[in-house]
Amino acid sequence: MALTLTCPVCGKRNGYEFRYGGEDKGPRPAEAELTPQTWCEYVHLNNCTAGIQKEWWCHRDGCGVWFTTYRDTTCNLEVEKSEAQS
Amino acid sequence: MLGKYKPLWGETPSLKSNYDAVIIGGGLHGLAAAYFLAQQHGMRNVAVIEKRYLGFGGSGRNTAIVRANQRTQENVPLYKEALDLWPVLTKELDYNLMFFNCGNLNLMHSEAAMNAARMNVATAQFHGVESHLIDAKQCKEMVPALNISEDITYPIFGAMYHPPGGILRHDAIVWGLAKGAAKHGVDIHQQTEVTGIGVENHKIVSVETDKGHIKTPRVLNAAGGYSAALAYAMLGLKLPISVLTIQAMVTQPLKPILNHVVSSGTYHAYANQTLKGEIATGAHMDAWPNYTTQTTAYYIKHQAEALAEMLPCLRGVKFMRHWAGLADMTPDMAPIMDGNDPIEGYFMDCGWGYFGFKSCAAAGKYMAQFMASGNCPDILKPFSLRRFEQHRLMGETAALVNYTPDN
Repeated sequence: MALTLTCPVCGKRNGYEFRYGGEDKGPRPAEAELTPQTWCEYVHLNNCTAGIQKEWWCHRDGCGVWFTTYRDTTCNLEVEKSEAQS
Repeated sequence: MLGKYKPLWGETPSLKSNYDAVIIGGGLHGLAAAYFLAQQHGMRNVAVIEKRYLGFGGSGRNTAIVRANQRTQENVPLYKEALDLWPVLTKELDYNLMFFNCGNLNLMHSEAAMNAARMNVATAQFHGVESHLIDAKQCKEMVPALNISEDITYPIFGAMYHPPGGILRHDAIVWGLAKGAAKHGVDIHQQTEVTGIGVENHKIVSVETDKGHIKTPRVLNAAGGYSAALAYAMLGLKLPISVLTIQAMVTQPLKPILNHVVSSGTYHAYANQTLKGEIATGAHMDAWPNYTTQTTAYYIKHQAEALAEMLPCLRGVKFMRHWAGLADMTPDMAPIMDGNDPIEGYFMDCGWGYFGFKSCAAAGKYMAQFMASGNCPDILKPFSLRRFEQHRLMGETAALVNYTPDN
């Protein structure tokens, strides 16, 4: 299950240097009129896509930067944004 | 398997256009629910729909360990009931499930871990489950192969010994339950893919498959690692699940050296000797969601290092097979068993992570009761999906091993 990720600072690195940060769910919901359902959705609920998803990563054992990338969860390969949205 | 040989559970029936319940997933949980629906509740017009073959997923990929040494009040009784059910099912199904009641030894590597184990033992004893705390010397007496010296990375302080646990043959349970379900009238459809679920006025009305349309008022999502993706794709229902790949492996067969399941949260390793003599051992998870079921050299190295320290007599032994399966992890390391909410007639039994094997019989029994009566049995109530928005997450994360992408 090899994984290589492209850090925006350090370039292509071994996946074990990174920490997965969850599916990209957009901005954190506003505190005003926040319901438990909206908060639960933001914190816990996932699409669990079998295919290409946009997700957060942190280069934990490297430069420490947080970034988003597109990855195909059925083969563990990073894909280009253009490919992901086509 | 589907060639000239007839399946144990008989010929494949033709797909009917009407079922009282459709179960998605021909794994242990789906088959157990089907079996208990037909056997205990008289609901015989039931279909089990399996995309590939029975036991393709986690049911055939786990390392077959059973135990009831969970951490919380809600979980322990469920797993205890499953342990009590194996001998009953062996008789009822008239099929040898090969239950080897060898007991589990959870190793502790610090004073803090020993204190945590003390609380765990107290919970077990409260629920009438046998569990003891033992020291390193007693561990060595029980498992002479164990290394209790202080010159390893994580010296052994003691262990939680749980005699009621053991191992079963997982394929036998799949086949036995399929045989039992079919005998009571359940239709098992392999190589049939569910392509959609029909909902009208917040009620389940139908299931679409690649073999035809089925009218039904009840659906059970028991698709294991694929259940969260299925719920979102077909019902737009998001679940608090992350699907990770979990790996395990077996060594070449050896003479009997391990007569208990030995596990260590700190080493992230467990080992038991199968009836064939192989040392079955696992279980590493890479902490990012994926559906690959691929294995890694990284993990072979980790496992070799852990076993060489814990059980030094295994040094030089060769790994023979290595495989992976999917684990649908929830943030609180406890499953989601729910129904009729938010869609009437939609039931789910998922989020079982890497521990779905141990409890399948009890989960199937109570899900069947839920589906037949429409009322959630008390034992399942704490496992509702809404616990996450109510901030009533369970404390299973305090158990000994803890992997999820959430921590």
